[in-house]
Amino acid sequence: MASWGARTLSIVSWLYVAVVAGLGFYAATLATSDPIAILTGVTALVVASMVGVAASNSGNRFTTGLAVAAAVPMVLGPVDQVDLAGSIAIYGIGLAIVWALRYSRSEKHVDLLPSLLRRFVGYAVYATVYSALRTGPFTELSGDWSDLFPFAVALAAWIAVEVFLRAMLVVGKRELSRSYLARSLLHDLNVFLGLAMTGALFGELWPAIGWWALPIALLPYSFAHLAFKRFQETKVTYKQTIRALARIPEVSGLGTDGHADRTTDLASAIAMEIGLGPVQVEDVEYAGLMHDIGRVSLNEPQILRMGYSDDDIARWSSEIIAESPYLSRVATHVRHQYEPYRKPGEQTDPDVSVISRIIKVAAAYDWQVHQDRRSPLQSLETLHAGAAYDYDPEVVASLRRLLESRGVLTPVRA
Amino acid sequence: MPYSLLGLVALIGSFFISEPPDWRYWFPFAVLFILLEFFAVEVNDRMLQSSSVMVAMTAGVILALLPDSDAMFGMALMGGLALFTPADFREKRWFQPLANFGQFVLAATVAGFILDLFLEGVAVSPESLVRVAVVSMLAALAYATVQNVLVRHAVRTVFGRDNLEPWSQMPVLFIGQVTMGLIGGLIGAAFLIADRQAIIVFIVGVYAIGHMSLYAFAQLRDSHIGSIRGFVKTLEAKDMYTRGHTERVAFFAQMIGEELGFSGTQLETIRWSALIHDLGKLAVPTELIRKRGRLDEDEYADMKAHAQLVEEILAEVDFLQPMVEIASGHHSNFDGSGYGGSTHSEGQAPSLEACIVAAADAFDAMTSARSYRMALSQQYAISELRQHSGAQFHPEVVDAFERALAKSGRRWGAPHVNDEEMARRLAEEPELTLRG
Repeated sequence: MASWGARTLSIVSWLYVAVVAGLGFYAATLATSDPIAILTGVTALVVASMVGVAASNSGNRFTTGLAVAAAVPMVLGPVDQVDLAGSIAIYGIGLAIVWALRYSRSEKHVDLLPSLLRRFVGYAVYATVYSALRTGPFTELSGDWSDLFPFAVALAAWIAVEVFLRAMLVVGKRELSRSYLARSLLHDLNVFLGLAMTGALFGELWPAIGWWALPIALLPYSFAHLAFKRFQETKVTYKQTIRALARIPEVSGLGTDGHADRTTDLASAIAMEIGLGPVQVEDVEYAGLMHDIGRVSLNEPQILRMGYSDDDIARWSSEIIAESPYLSRVATHVRHQYEPYRKPGEQTDPDVSVISRIIKVAAAYDWQVHQDRRSPLQSLETLHAGAAYDYDPEVVASLRRLLESRGVLTPVRA
Repeated sequence: MPYSLLGLVALIGSFFISEPPDWRYWFPFAVLFILLEFFAVEVNDRMLQSSSVMVAMTAGVILALLPDSDAMFGMALMGGLALFTPADFREKRWFQPLANFGQFVLAATVAGFILDLFLEGVAVSPESLVRVAVVSMLAALAYATVQNVLVRHAVRTVFGRDNLEPWSQMPVLFIGQVTMGLIGGLIGAAFLIADRQAIIVFIVGVYAIGHMSLYAFAQLRDSHIGSIRGFVKTLEAKDMYTRGHTERVAFFAQMIGEELGFSGTQLETIRWSALIHDLGKLAVPTELIRKRGRLDEDEYADMKAHAQLVEEILAEVDFLQPMVEIASGHHSNFDGSGYGGSTHSEGQAPSLEACIVAAADAFDAMTSARSYRMALSQQYAISELRQHSGAQFHPEVVDAFERALAKSGRRWGAPHVNDEEMARRLAEEPELTLRG
């Protein structure tokens, strides 16, 4: 991808949008619903896509457009049949418009490219499965739990396709492992489900009470939305606070400036690269930020007199964070961050988690580059040399790939 | 206790007056209602905490609209079952659940009565939605009113005072409850009109997901403050004489804030400011913190520079910025003199919040022991605050503090040490004992 010019990429991106729009318009010609209904659907989808919620720090973002899309097959056309072509038409055209708007505002085509395709395919599967399973008209099914069945199966198919494609289409994001991408979507399933169920609620109520369905379906969701948002906002603030606290020993001259920040960036990139899930990646972040916080104790005169070891710092750090409710779960990772990943004669040391090993490698690399002023290659060589006991070879290999893809090291191909 | 008896009477009474609910509909909502109450979340503005009213109203409207069932007993029973919260088990409080029982049953009975009265025999059709909306608003209003009156009364009898912190935001809470009741009622009616049971799954699903996120939010918020506490503990562990200082300052600051009529969010800001007011010391070499006697000019400048660096970093966090401003303002005097942080200029009066933290800080410094002197008495500390009131301390803050201390009935510091010189001598010559 890197060898392609930005221009080519831009053209390809617009081509994608055009193809999806074309498919949408083609489907519209097959639709049984009238053009006004399709136009209304497209408008609703585009408008709803403006309201979104960032689901997590893994960059997943869902909009209320998802709820509209989920409702479309239920409400489009006469009550006794699903207008599959019409549904796909609405989604295709709507998606193309939304993406065209996004492209015109953003330069990061590479990031948006795979998600456009993924969303379209995922939705087509959802609508197809739903229309295949919804045999009878709404009225016949009413009062029966079997209403749920087509929706539940179609939704499951949608999620499965999304997760699968998300893992497969990693264009331009070579630092992220497939496993991480797939797991990050599953991690944010609550937002996805909340939106899809809101759409279904609207779809179920629509035939009976018409537009009253809109406020009734939207209000429970707005409660959920508020909750999602506040959770995310607090999480961001919390991380900022931890980041600020991590810098206290650094500005006091008790550590290297920026070490915690850089170590964390590197460590979380390694964690994503080797395929840890979002929860573990978050642990890596907190452990990385806090791994040297014990250095605040270094301004005690008697400690300076008696001297201290790396192990002491790890111990003090873990003691400090063990006091904090949310951070305490990473205290053991921080405690073992300086220990070798295995002992002689043993394959691994079960006490030293993969998170501790990542922190060890990332912190050592940053220390050598910024404190000892070695070149990236020299630093990496030291890590390679220490891979017998000190540094986990897999983590070191991952660091190497990362440095190569970031252009810090030139790739060596055999 | 009278509540639980009244509640029991209402429950039994409603059983005889109204028809039993349609249990198929009652059951899922009752489960949800009990779960929501059990896992009630305390959010800062306290608005979403009582979202269970929505579920109660949904169930109530359904039961009232159904031809062979009434809402009153069903709602009363639902309310009566939701009497426990996890905290009751943890802290082994058995009186609270009884009061809760009475209060829930009474509120639910009144709301159910209104629903039955106005919705009996109303046709299940889209045309009646407007009527349902009006009636559920009324019922929610009654539900909220009964509950508030009862809680207020209970608080007054048990604690003997009226101006409890939660009640400062009453109107917001009220509007929230009524709105949620209205939505709940509409959902109930829509559910019957659409005649699809699958809808329950979606409503409950969206609701449960929202609630889970809110729960996660509340936990994260707690751990946010917990992390700061953890750091403060570390800081204080360095010096046995300042151990617990920050927590006490936060406590006193909140006390003053309550006395001055601050609301929930303002109080939270003050609490946070008090918690971080000494974080700057983390960066100051311990020998300077512990040094006996006055710092020389260089040492003082050094200390200030270190503390300021920490303040600058913390102020980069948007959320903490106002708190850092308050915390750094607590060094400056009420009349504007003294050093008050990087944003402070000579002669400028610090904010009321900063004055509160300053008074709380000074009070705790006097009433706790130092390496060079014993703790002074509360009486002495107050008289010192009073003496410098108007110059170093804010007069209103000092007044409020004095009132709040008198109300609390607790006494701080060493009761008989009313003289700074005496306190020093007592610390230096341990064999000297004090005779009161």
